[in-house]
Amino acid sequence: MTLIDKKLLEKILYHVEKPGRYVGGEHNMVLKDWQSVETRVALAFPDIYDLGQANLGLSILYELINDRPNILAERVFSPWHDMEDALREHHIPFFSLESKTPIKDFDILGITLPYESIYTNVLNLLDLSVIPLRSEQREAHYPLVIAGGQACFNPEPMADFIDAFAIGDGEEVIFEIIHTYQEWKSQNQNKIVLLNNLAKINGVYVPSLYEVKYFDDGRINKVQPFTEDIPKTVLKRISPALPAPIKKQIVPNTQIVHDRIAVEIMRGCTRGCRFCHAGIVNRPVRQRNPKDILEAIDLGVKATGYEELSLLSLSSSDHTQILDITKAVYEQNKTRRLSVSLPSLRIESFSVDLMDELKELRPGGGFTIAPEAATDRMRAVINKPLADEILFETVETIFDHGWLNLKMYYMIGLPGERMEDVEAILDTARKVQQIGKRRHGNRIRVHVSIGTFIPKPHTPFQWANSEDPESVQDKLDFLREGMRQSKIKLSYNRPDSTLLEAWLSRGDRRLGQVIERAWQNGAKFDAWDEGFKKEYWYQAFEESGIDPGFYINRQRQSDEIFPWDHISTGVSKEFLLEEYEMSQREETRTDCRKGCHVCGILDCFSDIRPNEQEVYWGCP
Amino acid sequence: MNPITPFRVRIKFAKLENLRFIGHLDLQRLFERALNRTGLPLRYTQGFSPKIRINIASALPLGFISSAEVFDFWLNAPVDLQEIREKLQAALPKDLQILDIQEIPNQAPSLQASVYLSEYSITLPDTYAQNNIKAKLSHLLASETIPVERRGKTVDIRPMIKEWALFSKDGSTVLYLQMDSSATSNGRPDELLKLLDIDPADVIIERTKLIFEE
Ligand code: SF4
Repeated sequence: MTLIDKKLLEKILYHVEKPGRYVGGEHNMVLKDWQSVETRVALAFPDIYDLGQANLGLSILYELINDRPNILAERVFSPWHDMEDALREHHIPFFSLESKTPIKDFDILGITLPYESIYTNVLNLLDLSVIPLRSEQREAHYPLVIAGGQACFNPEPMADFIDAFAIGDGEEVIFEIIHTYQEWKSQNQNKIVLLNNLAKINGVYVPSLYEVKYFDDGRINKVQPFTEDIPKTVLKRISPALPAPIKKQIVPNTQIVHDRIAVEIMRGCTRGCRFCHAGIVNRPVRQRNPKDILEAIDLGVKATGYEELSLLSLSSSDHTQILDITKAVYEQNKTRRLSVSLPSLRIESFSVDLMDELKELRPGGGFTIAPEAATDRMRAVINKPLADEILFETVETIFDHGWLNLKMYYMIGLPGERMEDVEAILDTARKVQQIGKRRHGNRIRVHVSIGTFIPKPHTPFQWANSEDPESVQDKLDFLREGMRQSKIKLSYNRPDSTLLEAWLSRGDRRLGQVIERAWQNGAKFDAWDEGFKKEYWYQAFEESGIDPGFYINRQRQSDEIFPWDHISTGVSKEFLLEEYEMSQREETRTDCRKGCHVCGILDCFSDIRPNEQEVYWGCP
Repeated sequence: MNPITPFRVRIKFAKLENLRFIGHLDLQRLFERALNRTGLPLRYTQGFSPKIRINIASALPLGFISSAEVFDFWLNAPVDLQEIREKLQAALPKDLQILDIQEIPNQAPSLQASVYLSEYSITLPDTYAQNNIKAKLSHLLASETIPVERRGKTVDIRPMIKEWALFSKDGSTVLYLQMDSSATSNGRPDELLKLLDIDPADVIIERTKLIFEE
C-alpha cells in the first residue's frame, strides 16, 4: 500500500474550493487498520461529496461491510474540477476519503450508478485512479470493478467498463461477491476464473460472458452467454425485508444536499404509473412496521444530532399504517426539535390529515403534490387517474389547513400527448392559484415544476419514442408565457439536457465507445446543468458511426428484443406489453393491492417471502 | 420567556488536522449537532426558528490549526462540568479536542464582543532561510503603512500587527505574531506571509492564544 504524500495533499487542499469535501474525519466515519482485514472495498459515488454522501444505499453498504471484522469499506467521491486539476498536475492517483489510500490498491471498487448521466464520471474516476477503463484491459492485480444501483437494470451501455453488475437490492449479494473474491484470491488464479465464479451468484451479471448479435438495421437479434453454465437471464436480487436502519449515519462536516436523517419506510410501489421506472424495478412492496420506524428515528437522532428527518418511500400514503406512523412520530418527537418531512403523498384529503399530524414538527413547510398530467385522457394513458374534483378539493383543504406554498409536479412529452393536455396544465395551475387566493389573498405561492418524460427500460413505455426536444421546447415556451402572465412560478429542465438520459437509458453496449469518446472529448459532470455539453456527445456519436436517433426516435415493435431483456426485474415483458397496449387504448388499471394483476414478481420471489406478521408485502 | 436561569458554559478547544479545512459556518453547524448528541438540556434562541444557542469567539480562517479556540453555549439547568466535558468530547470528531471547560456568569460579555487579539505561531520550512525573512520582516514592519487588497478594497494591515518575533525551536524557524482579532480590525497572518513571499499553503499556521478584554 502506498500512502498519498500528506504534505503535498495539504498544500493542494489549501488552494481548492471547499476542501472539507476531501478530508473525511466526520463523526461516525469508520477508519479500520488496513492490515487488520482480508479484503478492502472502495465504495464510490461518482459525483462530488456534497451529493454522494447523501446517498442512502451507499451509507447502508458502508455500515454493513464495516460491521464485519475482516473487511473494510472506505468512501470515494469525484473531485470537483479544481481538485481534479491539482491531482493531475501533481500526478497523484485518486484516493479514498478515510485512509487516503490510492483506489488502485483496494481489492474491490464498488460503484453506485443511480442514473445514466453519471457514466462519464465513472470513466473519469477510473482514469484519475490510474486504473484502465475497460474491463478487458484490467488484469488481476487491479481492483475488481463492480456496480450497483437503479441504472444497472440496463447495464449494457457500461458493459465494457464494469466487470460485474449487482442487479437489484445489494444488501445481501455484496457479501457473496466479496466471499467469491476472497476464495478466488486465495487460489491465485486469473481474472477469467473470477468472472465466471461471480456470474454464478444469483443477481450478478458479468457482461463479458455474453455475446450480442445484431440485425443489419441495428436492432438486436440475439443475446446469449458464451457458455452453457452461465445463466441466460439474470434475475434481480431482493431483500425480503428492508435492511435494518443505519445505526451510525455519518454526519458530514460540510453541508451536503439532503443533510438530514433518512428513514426508508417502504420499498416498491403498487400503483402502476406507466412512466415510473422505480415503481417496477423495486417490486414487490415491502413495508417497515411502525415500531421499527420509531426505533430507527430514535437511533438516528441520537447518533447524528440532526434536527431534520425525512421518511422515504415512493408513495408514503400507501403504507398501510401511515396514519399510526405519523401520530406516533409526532408523539415521539413533540418535545424534541425535529422537523419531519413526508414526501410522495397521494392527492386526496387524507394526505392533508397526515401532514396535519406532523405540522407542529415543521412550521413553515410547503405542500407538494404530483398530478403528473392534467387531463383525464392523459392520466389514463399514464395510469395515474385523478378526478379534477378530487384535485381541487384536496387543494382547497391544503389551503384551508393553513399551507401557503403549494408545489405541483407535471410531465410533458408523454406518449400521445396533445397540445390540449399541455394547456390543461396551465388551466389547472390557474384554478389552483384562484382557490388559494380566495382563502389567503396574495400570500399564497403556487409553484409548477415540469419534467420532460423519458421512456425508461422495464416500464410499459419502453416501446415508446421520446418526443424531440424542439417540440418539447415549444410546449415549455407556451407554459412559460402563460405562467408568467399569471405570476405562477415555473421550473423545468432544458429539454436538451434530457437527451443524454434518453440515449443512454435504453442504450445497448455499442454505446460504450460513445461514452468513452464523449469523455475523451471532455464530457463529465453531465448530471449538472452547466456540465452537460451536447457537442461532446454528438461528436462522439459521429466518431463511433452511431446514430443517436436510433435510440430515441423509434417506436419499437412489440417483438423487438431489448438490450436489457436478459436482465429481469421479476416483472414479465408480457405484462409490460399488455400495459403499453392498454395505455394506447387509454385504459387504466387499478392499484394491484386491490387485486393482483399477475405482473410476475410473485412467481419469482414467493419462495423467499417472509411470514406476513413479520414483514408486510403489498402483494396478496 | 424562559424563567430558568441559563447555565453558561465556556469551552476552550483545539482544532487540528482534518478539521483545519472546515470553515466557520460548518463548524457552527458541527457544534450544534454534536451538542444535540450529548443529550444535555440545551438552551435555544428565541424566535420563529429557534436554534441551539452557541457563540464562537472568533472565526478561524480555513487551513489554520488552533490550540486556543473558545466557544460558549447555554443549558437550561446546571450540569457537572466534568460530565459535560466527557459527553461533548465523545460527540466530537477526534480533530476537535476540548482543552478546558468553565462555568461563566450569565451576564458576562459576549465572546465576540470581548476578543481583541490573537497570537499565532508559524513554523517555517527550512526552504525559507531565516535571515532573509528577518530582514524582510524588519523592513516591512518599519514602513508606516502596509496596504493589502481585501475583496477589492485596500486595507492597511500595519496597525493590526502588534508584536512579532522570529526564533528557532527544535531546529526550525518559528514566526510569532500578535495581531488584532476583533470585528472591526482583524489581522490575517497569511496576508503577511504572502508579502514575505511565503506560500501560506507551505506552512502550518497555528493560533495559540485568544486575548479578551477584562
Ligand atoms: S404480484 Fe400482483 S400485487 Fe404484487 S406487484 Fe405484481 S401485480 Fe402487484
